[in-house]
Amino acid sequence: MKGTGGALFVEQLKAAGVEYIFFNPSTGDAPIYDAMVDQTDIHLIKGVQEGVVVAMADGYARASGKPGVAIVAAVGLPNAMTQLVNTYKDRIPLMLAMGVPAREAESRGGAQQYDGQETLLTPISKWAWRTESAAGLPDITRKALKFASTRPGGPVSLWLSEPGLREEATATIVDEAAFNTPISMRPNKADIETIARLLIEAKNPLLTVGDEITLAQGEREVRELAELLGLPVMGSAVLGQWSTPFPTRSPLFLGGLQANTPALGQVDIHLNVGSWLGEQTARGAKLISIRQDPATLGRATPVDMGVIADPKLACADLVEAVKSLATKDRLKKIADERTRRVADYTEKARKLRHDVAMQFSTGSPIRLNRLAFELEDFLDKDTIYVADLDSGRKMEPLMNFGGDDKMYIGNGPAVLGWGISAGLGVKLARPDKPVIALVGDGSFLFGGPQPLWSLSRYQAPITVMVLNNRSYNNERNRIWAFGGGSQLSRGLDMTCYNGSPDVDIAKTAQAFGVEAEQVNDPETIKAALGRAKRANIEGRPYLLEVVIERDGIGGASEWHPPFSIASLRTRKV
Amino acid sequence: MHKLFASAFVCIAMAAGGAAVAQPADNPLLPEGPGRDRVVAVCTSCHVSRAFAQVRENANGWKNQVSEMILIGAQVSPADMDAIVGYLSTAFGPGTRLPGPPSQAVDLPDGAAKILVLGSCARCHGLDRVAGAKRSPREWDHIVERMAFYGAPLDEGQRKTVVAYLTEHYAAK
Repeated sequence: MKGTGGALFVEQLKAAGVEYIFFNPSTGDAPIYDAMVDQTDIHLIKGVQEGVVVAMADGYARASGKPGVAIVAAVGLPNAMTQLVNTYKDRIPLMLAMGVPAREAESRGGAQQYDGQETLLTPISKWAWRTESAAGLPDITRKALKFASTRPGGPVSLWLSEPGLREEATATIVDEAAFNTPISMRPNKADIETIARLLIEAKNPLLTVGDEITLAQGEREVRELAELLGLPVMGSAVLGQWSTPFPTRSPLFLGGLQANTPALGQVDIHLNVGSWLGEQTARGAKLISIRQDPATLGRATPVDMGVIADPKLACADLVEAVKSLATKDRLKKIADERTRRVADYTEKARKLRHDVAMQFSTGSPIRLNRLAFELEDFLDKDTIYVADLDSGRKMEPLMNFGGDDKMYIGNGPAVLGWGISAGLGVKLARPDKPVIALVGDGSFLFGGPQPLWSLSRYQAPITVMVLNNRSYNNERNRIWAFGGGSQLSRGLDMTCYNGSPDVDIAKTAQAFGVEAEQVNDPETIKAALGRAKRANIEGRPYLLEVVIERDGIGGASEWHPPFSIASLRTRKV
Repeated sequence: MHKLFASAFVCIAMAAGGAAVAQPADNPLLPEGPGRDRVVAVCTSCHVSRAFAQVRENANGWKNQVSEMILIGAQVSPADMDAIVGYLSTAFGPGTRLPGPPSQAVDLPDGAAKILVLGSCARCHGLDRVAGAKRSPREWDHIVERMAFYGAPLDEGQRKTVVAYLTEHYAAK
C-alpha cells in the first residue's frame, strides 16, 4: 500500500483488528487523523486529558481481551503515565503512541522537548521503540501490537517521528494472523501429575486464584478443579489484584487473599494459580505456583514448585490428571469431606457478615453496607461492575461476583482517577452488558471531571456512582491506625479531609451534559438506580452522587489545616 | 506520591512488604489475657499490634471495629468475634494506659463541663486532642456522640453540656 506514514499506521491497525483509537491530539500526529477522515471500520474516541485516554483504552482492553490503542501528545506523557501504572502492573495489553519531532530537531531543545523524555516510559513499558520512516512504520506497529498482547501482556510505547508520519511511502500491511500467533503454554505432564497427587493426598489444601486466570479466560477450568477436589479457594479483587476469577457465591470461596488463613488453620498444600499476590498466602504450607508471568513468579516469596503455563490449560490438565489418579468414588469422598468442612465456615461467615451489616444499615449519611445490599438487590446479574474504590471496597464481601454473577473489573495498583474512563472503555468492548462504574470522591476529584466530557460526547450509556464521604477516608484510617503518630494523638487530620470546599459532584456532571442527582437517604437509593437504568436503556449516561458516611478513626472530624493565601497579602489585590 | 493510590485495607501490610504474619512473640504490645490467641491469629494477619494498642474503646466501639473488619473479609467466626471483642475491650478499654510518652499538658478553661471532660475524654486520650483544634458546633456534636458510643461515660444531658463547653472554648470561626 502507498500512503503517508499516518495512513499506513491506520491501515496496519485495522489489519490487526483494532476498532478504536483512544486519543488526545497534538499537531505533529495530524497525519494519523487525516487518514481517519474516510474510515468507517475504525473509530476515534477522544479524551480531554491523557490519563483519561489511557484509562479508557485500559478498560477496553480488560473487557475485550484485545490491545487498547492510545495516542497522546508527547508533552502530556506524565499524565498518561499515572494511569499506565495500572496497565503495566496488571499486564494489560495496550499500545501507547506519541508523535515526536525528528531527532535533529529534538536535539535543538524545543519548547516542549526535554532530553531523555523517552526514558520516562522505560520502567513501565514492556517494549518501547521509535519509528523514523513511513516505510518502516507498519512493521514496527506490528511488533508493538504483538509484544503488547503476547502473554504476559502489558503496555508498549511507540514514539512516532512526525516527518515519518507526513511523508509518503509504500509498505506492506499484514493481517494479524500472520504476525501475532496466540501462545498457550501447556504445562509439563510430569509436573501436573506431581501436583495432582499432592492435591489428592493433602490434609488441608488451599487454592488461591488470580488475574492471569481472567486474562486466559480460564474461570470454568479453575472452578472445575476446585469442585472436583473440594478445594477451599481464596482470591478476589484486592490491592494488587483486579478481577474475581472464582464465583464468590461458591461454598468453597473463603474471601480475598490474606497473609494467613485463620478459617482453615495451618494449610499443608497451597496451590496458587495465576496470582503474584496469592504466593504470599498461607505461610508454612508447601507452595506450588502455576503462573503465566515468569518475572513475578517467586519474586516476593520463595516457591517450592514453580510452573510456567497458561492457567486455563494447566487447570484443565490438572482435572484430567486427578481423574486418572483416583477413582470417581474416592474423589467424591475427598471432595465431599473437604467441601463440608469449608462450607460450614463459609455459610456461617456469610450469615455473620449479613447480620453485622444489617445492624448498621439505616440512617443518613448512607452506610456502605446498606448501599451494598441495595446494589446487590438491584443490579442485573450480567452487569459489569467497574470499581475504582477504596472505602467502597467494604461493599464487595456483601455482594456476589464471578461465575453467573456480576463481572468485576478493577485496577490492581489502585491508582486513582481510573474508574469512569475505564467504565467507558468497558462499555465500548461490551456494549450489550449493563455497566456501572463506581468511584470515590477522592478518585473523582483526582481524575478530574474530564471523563464526563467523553461520556457526554459519545452518549456512553453507563451508570456512574460516586461514593462521596468528602475524604480520602481509608487513607486517613490507614495513616491513623497503622502509623499512629501526632495526627492520631492530637486528633488533627492534616491530609485527608476533602469536604472544604464541598464540591457538588452531581452539578459538575450536569455541567458536562450528564444527567445526575445526589442521593442522601438510603430509602431513595433504589429509585435513583432505577432512574439511572432508565437513562442507560434510552442511551444516556447517568451519574449518582451517593453521600456516604465518613467512618473509622477520626471520621467525625471536618478539621483541616487552616491556611489562606488571601491572608498573606499586605494589600488587597 | 502516596495520594495517587487507594488500597484495600485488609491486605495493606501484606501488599506492602509481604511480611505481615505477626507471631505472638512479635506482639509485645498485646498483654496476656483470654482471647489474645484469636487476636494474634485473626487480626495480626493484616495489622501490627500497635493498631489496637493505641486506641481506647469499650465493647461497643471494639465490636464496631471488628464488625468493619468482618465486612471487609476478616476470617472471623461468631465465637472468634466474642473472644476478640472481649480481649480488646479489656486490654484496650477506657482507662487503660496508652503506650508512648505522655501527652502535652493542657490547662482546660473553667466551666460547667470541665470536670466532665476530665472524667470522660481524658480516660482514653490526652487533652491535647481536645484542645488542639477549633471545630464547628456540628463537628463537636458529632465527635461527642461518637465518643459516647465508644465509651465516654456521658448521658444525654452531659453530652449537651460538653458540646456547649467545647463550642464555647474551641469553636471554629
